Amino acid sequence: MYWLEKNRVRELVEKLSREYAVFGPRYDEVSEEVIFDRLADPGQLNLQAPISYNPPKYILFPHYEEILKYTYDRKSKQVAIEKFSKIQPKALVGIRSCDLTGILCLDRFFLGQEFVDEFYLEHRKKLFLISSTCVRPFPQCFCVCTDSGPAAREGFDLDLTFTGEGYLVLAGSRKGQKLVDELKLEPAGKEASSLRKKIIGESISSFDKFALENKAWISRATNRLTTGFVKPEVWEYIGNQCFECGACSFVCPTCSCFNVEDVNRIPQTDRVRTWDSCSFEGYTKMAGDHNPRKPVEDRRNKRFFCKLSYSQSKKYLRPGCVGCGRCARVCPGDIGLPNVVTYIRREITGEEDR
Amino acid sequence: MNNQLLPIVTVPEVATVVEIRDEIPEVKTFFFTFDRPEIEEAFRIRSGQFIMCTVFGAGEFAVSLPFSPENDRKHISVRKVGKVTAALHALEPGDKIGIRGPFGNGFPFEEIKGKNVVYVAGGIGLIPLRSSIVHVLQHRQEFGRVILVYGARSSRDLMYKESIREWKATSGFETYFTIDRPEPGWSGEVGFVNQLVARIDLPVEHTVAFVCGPPVMFNSVIKELKIKGIKEQNIYSTLERHMKCGIGKCQHCAIGRTLVCVDGPVYTYRQIKTLGEQI
Repeated sequence: MYWLEKNRVRELVEKLSREYAVFGPRYDEVSEEVIFDRLADPGQLNLQAPISYNPPKYILFPHYEEILKYTYDRKSKQVAIEKFSKIQPKALVGIRSCDLTGILCLDRFFLGQEFVDEFYLEHRKKLFLISSTCVRPFPQCFCVCTDSGPAAREGFDLDLTFTGEGYLVLAGSRKGQKLVDELKLEPAGKEASSLRKKIIGESISSFDKFALENKAWISRATNRLTTGFVKPEVWEYIGNQCFECGACSFVCPTCSCFNVEDVNRIPQTDRVRTWDSCSFEGYTKMAGDHNPRKPVEDRRNKRFFCKLSYSQSKKYLRPGCVGCGRCARVCPGDIGLPNVVTYIRREITGEEDR
Repeated sequence: MNNQLLPIVTVPEVATVVEIRDEIPEVKTFFFTFDRPEIEEAFRIRSGQFIMCTVFGAGEFAVSLPFSPENDRKHISVRKVGKVTAALHALEPGDKIGIRGPFGNGFPFEEIKGKNVVYVAGGIGLIPLRSSIVHVLQHRQEFGRVILVYGARSSRDLMYKESIREWKATSGFETYFTIDRPEPGWSGEVGFVNQLVARIDLPVEHTVAFVCGPPVMFNSVIKELKIKGIKEQNIYSTLERHMKCGIGKCQHCAIGRTLVCVDGPVYTYRQIKTLGEQI
């Protein structure tokens, strides 16, 4: 473990920005929300800011991405198809453990199944990831229930833990070690390991004090969802609450459904993929208007099935929910994942109120 | 299989439409060959698989493959039903299309050798079954009884009339045809496919059934087959869903815990029952 002084973070970012486009948590001037965004200046990085409004998912899985372009001249019958290749190296600084876990889920889903997604792979290969331990939770957090925080265990190039005076630095890859060497970071000393452990322990024990919005009975909910014992009335209730806005999918670090469309621009056509959400009615609609999933509750339970069922967890090698609590924050119908888990819990225990 | 090509995953391979045939109203068959000789040479499929077909300038759609894995011309049969298929129907011989695939699991072939095979199709449900029918007939002596029960709304809605003529000439291939309402000049059966299935003598032991057609037909046929005693795990069908990627990433084709593009499109009825969704 190494030691990075507080005032050297800027140097770290500057060093990265020579090779990478650097992204990190910063305050948005207009909305005053914390967003995970491109840093125009290293000084914008705010590692002490609360959890960002959006996860960094969009950086490696963009909202709107051109994947192919082609031209077809019907007269001469000439076709030219080309892959888009404008993917740049990017460094993500200050990723919270939940969001890093989200990226690992996406890795396993896009790269670890029967087929490899070439576009995701291209993004992923060029990423530099610096995670940051959450020294205290926020009201919506429940990563301790989903085993994805408050500190990262794997998948980072560098990991930072703030002690008050500076950062304990873990190198998780050769790339990370190289950066440590270039910055000539000093070893953090014998006590560093136990200090990091202590900070994480304090963070976990402060969940009862700070993380008051959500508690999630993940393992029991997983059991119920997998065995199909959640009563239709529960899904109907959840369905009735759903506005079909798709916000939950868009702020979720692991939601990765996309649509593909060919967009005509003269003279070429671009094949683009865009984020999609299973809550939209048109999601499963086939040509000829046959739609196998109609009622909204039928679509809603698919999302929670995807997050928590055992069969889907096999693809991620963990639950699909990482406990960031963003869906609960954005949902206008109050059916973020923690609430859904609560409804399932109530059904099991017969509780009347929360 | 040597020199087997891996599926075309990302960038479509360009193919030329060499012939277009009118099948039934709104359905045309498009014969195609790949422009690159090495792809044309190496492209292999299993019965029951599907491809993603690009109509340049319009988009891409998933379509089942009706040709046999052996000695058959490459083609797709497509009903004009939406934006992209309408653009496909507007093509002429010589036009180019893009192909990705083949994707999906396909119908069992080696596993069912020696068994009786019953095909039950309704309307354009014959399209995905055609590949398996032709393949089984090419290996006729390796199977038991082979039976086709095929129904359509009217005689002009029966697919693949030319192929059917050939199949009828194959010895040991039992065929039954039905249309919904009587028609002058029609000598086959009249009524729905499930009623015909109920009437005819079908083998039950050592038998697999392949069923494909509209949901109403599918459910009523399954009922009859089960009454006859054919086991749920021996009844196969192929499902269709809205698909965008074909490789298990976009998730549009999720049914229950499975994705039709990689876990399907061929399922046994026993599997379909546990998926917990409408067909």
